[in-house]
Amino acid sequence: MRPDWSIFRRWEGLLLILLILIVGYNALSTPGYLTVGNWVNLFQLSIEKIIVALIMTFIIINAEIDLSVASVMGFSACMMGFLFAGGMPMEWAIAGGLLAGFVAGLFNSFWIGIVGLPSLVVTLAGLIGYRGLAYVLLEDRSIGEFPAWFDRLGQQPLIGPFPLALIVFFVLLIFAIIVLQYSGFGRYVYVIGNSKDVARYSGVRVRRTKMILFVVSSTVAALAGILYAARLGAVRGDMALGFELDIITMVLLGGVSIFGGTGTMWGVLLSVLIILNLRNGMGLANFSGHVQTGVIGVLLILSVLVPNLAGTVQAALKRRRARTVEVVAAE
Amino acid sequence: MNTIRRRFQPEQIRELVLIALIIGILIFFGTQIDNYFSPRTFTRISTSVAVIAVVAVGQTLVILTRNIDLSVGSIVGFTAYIVGTILSINNDIPPVAVVLMAVAMGAVMGSINGLLVAYGRVPAIIVTLGTLAIFRTVLVEISGANSVLTNELPRWLVNLPPVNAFTLGPLDIRLLFFLAVVVVIIFQLVVSYLPWGRRLYAIGSNPDAARVAGFPAQRIIFTAFVLSGALAGLGGFMFLARFGNITVVAGQGIELQSVAAAVVGGVNINGGLGSPFGAFLGAILIDVLDNSLIRWLAISEFWRDALLGLLILLAVATDTVIMNRLRKVWARHELQVSGDGEPPAEKGGAGYAA
Amino acid sequence: MRKLSTIILSLLVISSLLLAACAPAAPAPAPAAAPAEATEAAPAEATEAPAEEAAAEATEAPAEEAAAPSGDVIVATPGQAVKMVLMPKFLGILVFDQANQGAQEAHAELGNTDELQFLGPTPENSVAGQIEIVTNATTQGVQAIMISNNAGDQIAPAAQAARDAGMTVVTWDSPIPSAEGEQLFVAQVDFAETGTVMADMARSILGEDGGKFAVLSASPDAANQNAWIASLQETLTDPAYANLELLDIVYGNDQSEDSYNQALALIDKYPDMELIMAPTSVGIVAAAKAMQDEGLCDTVKVSGLGLPAEMVEYTLNGCAPEFALWSFVDLGYTTYYAAYLLATGAMQGAEGETFEAGRMGTYTIEKDPTRDAGLRIVMGPFTVYNADNVEAASK
Repeated sequence: MRPDWSIFRRWEGLLLILLILIVGYNALSTPGYLTVGNWVNLFQLSIEKIIVALIMTFIIINAEIDLSVASVMGFSACMMGFLFAGGMPMEWAIAGGLLAGFVAGLFNSFWIGIVGLPSLVVTLAGLIGYRGLAYVLLEDRSIGEFPAWFDRLGQQPLIGPFPLALIVFFVLLIFAIIVLQYSGFGRYVYVIGNSKDVARYSGVRVRRTKMILFVVSSTVAALAGILYAARLGAVRGDMALGFELDIITMVLLGGVSIFGGTGTMWGVLLSVLIILNLRNGMGLANFSGHVQTGVIGVLLILSVLVPNLAGTVQAALKRRRARTVEVVAAE
Repeated sequence: MNTIRRRFQPEQIRELVLIALIIGILIFFGTQIDNYFSPRTFTRISTSVAVIAVVAVGQTLVILTRNIDLSVGSIVGFTAYIVGTILSINNDIPPVAVVLMAVAMGAVMGSINGLLVAYGRVPAIIVTLGTLAIFRTVLVEISGANSVLTNELPRWLVNLPPVNAFTLGPLDIRLLFFLAVVVVIIFQLVVSYLPWGRRLYAIGSNPDAARVAGFPAQRIIFTAFVLSGALAGLGGFMFLARFGNITVVAGQGIELQSVAAAVVGGVNINGGLGSPFGAFLGAILIDVLDNSLIRWLAISEFWRDALLGLLILLAVATDTVIMNRLRKVWARHELQVSGDGEPPAEKGGAGYAA
Repeated sequence: MRKLSTIILSLLVISSLLLAACAPAAPAPAPAAAPAEATEAAPAEATEAPAEEAAAEATEAPAEEAAAPSGDVIVATPGQAVKMVLMPKFLGILVFDQANQGAQEAHAELGNTDELQFLGPTPENSVAGQIEIVTNATTQGVQAIMISNNAGDQIAPAAQAARDAGMTVVTWDSPIPSAEGEQLFVAQVDFAETGTVMADMARSILGEDGGKFAVLSASPDAANQNAWIASLQETLTDPAYANLELLDIVYGNDQSEDSYNQALALIDKYPDMELIMAPTSVGIVAAAKAMQDEGLCDTVKVSGLGLPAEMVEYTLNGCAPEFALWSFVDLGYTTYYAAYLLATGAMQGAEGETFEAGRMGTYTIEKDPTRDAGLRIVMGPFTVYNADNVEAASK
């Protein structure tokens, strides 16, 4: 599977049209949609998921998967809450939470990179295990009453109307685009995703690249978990429960192949915008959460099916045209 | 050693390794928990493993073809709920018809997955991630948030879980567990001896070669999804019988449990390796761990999941390390079967090629 | 190729959007009563808050004076337009649907000319979903939201933002623990009383010589369940209940499967346990089914909080001889009245105010003694169900 750029330019074109349609529809039909406040809300409500989606893009392009991200988010946030409740200053508690994510990433990397287990198995165990650790730390407690500056960072605008998490997202987004699309490391990620063997023979350090990705993934998840804690102002064992499937959906809808090697950060950005706007529009139109996930499910399937069918139809047409031409020529 | 090597293939050894692991775990907890080796423990684990085992067998068929079915959780919930609702309205439907209805309902949902994956050429993870959400949405929308109530169900169904198929000494073999074992045996035989079953492996280990060899790959993958759906439908019936009270969230999370059972049971996520029996052992292994941790007084309620995650990881790692060793031994002696000599982890990570 | 597929996809999207448009979407906000003016505006802008606050401040003092000493009962003026949302913990559980029935009844009774929406998140996404709904409601200019909180204090920032935008926030069934962002909690029963009710049922089932029992709860994060268990533990310190011993607390996460397995594990873990107390409608049925399947109904009884319709079978066959609950229909009804009164400005939500909630009679707002802060009204009462009354109630 060599990257075929024209196909993915087309994919992104489709996503862009879809996005314009959704935004247009929302703007015309939903009062309150086109306000700055709503647009900040729209990002803010899923900001932690889309931050993690950025690194998940790298992982899936690399032909791996990380199912443990949501549990790591919960674990890190709970670690922070646990340390804070134990009397540690907030700054140190935050560092402790990030460290917890980093260590979780090292742990995942060890099993994937050194022992050589499939990432799906390791992170599936992580999905159960890190969530368990979050509950070990906090049990049935809920930790809140964080210092006011911490809550403010999560809930109040920092620069203009933008809160900290949104700024973090845009900074990470630019960084991720540069690293993935324009750096040697990014090229390695694609090469490994296409074929590990080819990568190894051409001197790419497959294991090291993979291990770096999983450590970064968990660390970014930890950061997202802490931002989530700041936004909600309290932490509990069930924080971010079940976010992993939403995050993976965002990446896949962005045109990243689950087999690795293809997809771009631009596609994921468009997909994130589509999902957020769709959810926001449907939420404002009072569709239930179930319908929202259902519609996104349909969209996910259609986004691959329609181009496939179109391709089939077009090929059939071409064949028939060729036959007609032959017949005409024969006559 | 040589005779052993000639008798067994590495894959069969893997199953022995799993059995040894399960026995080891049982012995450990036997020393930790009072009254652990009792018929009751057997009943406990066998009944709770029944539903997941049936679903995991279907999952295995799909994974063998290098696909994945994440929609099974919603299929289980959907059939359990709808069949339960139909039964509450009409208590007189004969049991066989009820089971067939559940299986057919699951098969229809499975065929939607199969059509999209095999003929629509959409990657399985995308299709089933989508239908996981879609099936659940449809269920919630048509249910109007009502629940299936135990007292509206026919008596035979409510009283089904404690019914024994037969007893083996002091052990009760419950009918639902027996049903699960029958399913496992049937599909183990199918994948071992029927051409259709052998082709699942061929497609999974090398889709291009299978296509060149002229296998009707699309049809086989389609059938695998239909069967996975049908087995999830059967699982839905068993779920209904076991729990009686069915809400619209029924069966949530079974998708990941069934994948976990399969991969712990040695089914390679990249297709082509593993067996229904292995998945059955995987389901038992996880359930033994879960059931024992729940009863182990040394750990609090809150430590259970943390330990479960770690133990699953260790079990898979032990299994992989032993298998890699064994494969090297085999490969050294039989260089011609070099195809099997490559450890699974080297074959690439999490791709589930269609 | 590119063009063709683009066209097809666009057509599909357009047609689906058209379909969506035909479905009952949100109508444009109707012209609304005075406090509504404020909420129409964008929530982020600071201008609208003062209007509401000023109005509130202006009327607060006299209202309090008027209400407190004379004990005047505040009565709702029907026919006003208040856009309202009733939010359960999540969709798909019978009790919340019953609460919606009650709220719809009150909605019709008061002749509210605006709409009442029943919006809830999916169970697997309950916390994030609840926060999303509150935030969206703020954008939509909803005037009152009634929350059965499943997000603990995590919902407080969103609720506070809704308050700042002038929305009325009332909680029911499960409050915001810190009371931040919440005006009033409509408690189904006195949370402190719940412990006594459960302990009394345990004593009545186990007999005067007492015995050992365990609690099967929902999730470790459920604020109301935790409050009830705490109150139960408190009650057990009373010498009158000295012969009851609480062995363990386990969690079934409000899922039939987990609850069923946890119930079975309890009987394996504690062979001398005689009772499982499940203060959750999902857990109690699962536990009763588990005991029945194992043929253990004679030795291990089940009790707790459950719905008569779901429990009737187990009560009649002796697996769960006694359990308790309140009416969720009445809870929804009462909550609606409180929210309507607050949103129309008839009531200020101050301690000591007394109001009439239709057929439910009058309630007086008081400090919530079960939390550090916050105001509540207590609906009540508990109904204890047994073989004598369960059949009638299950219809």
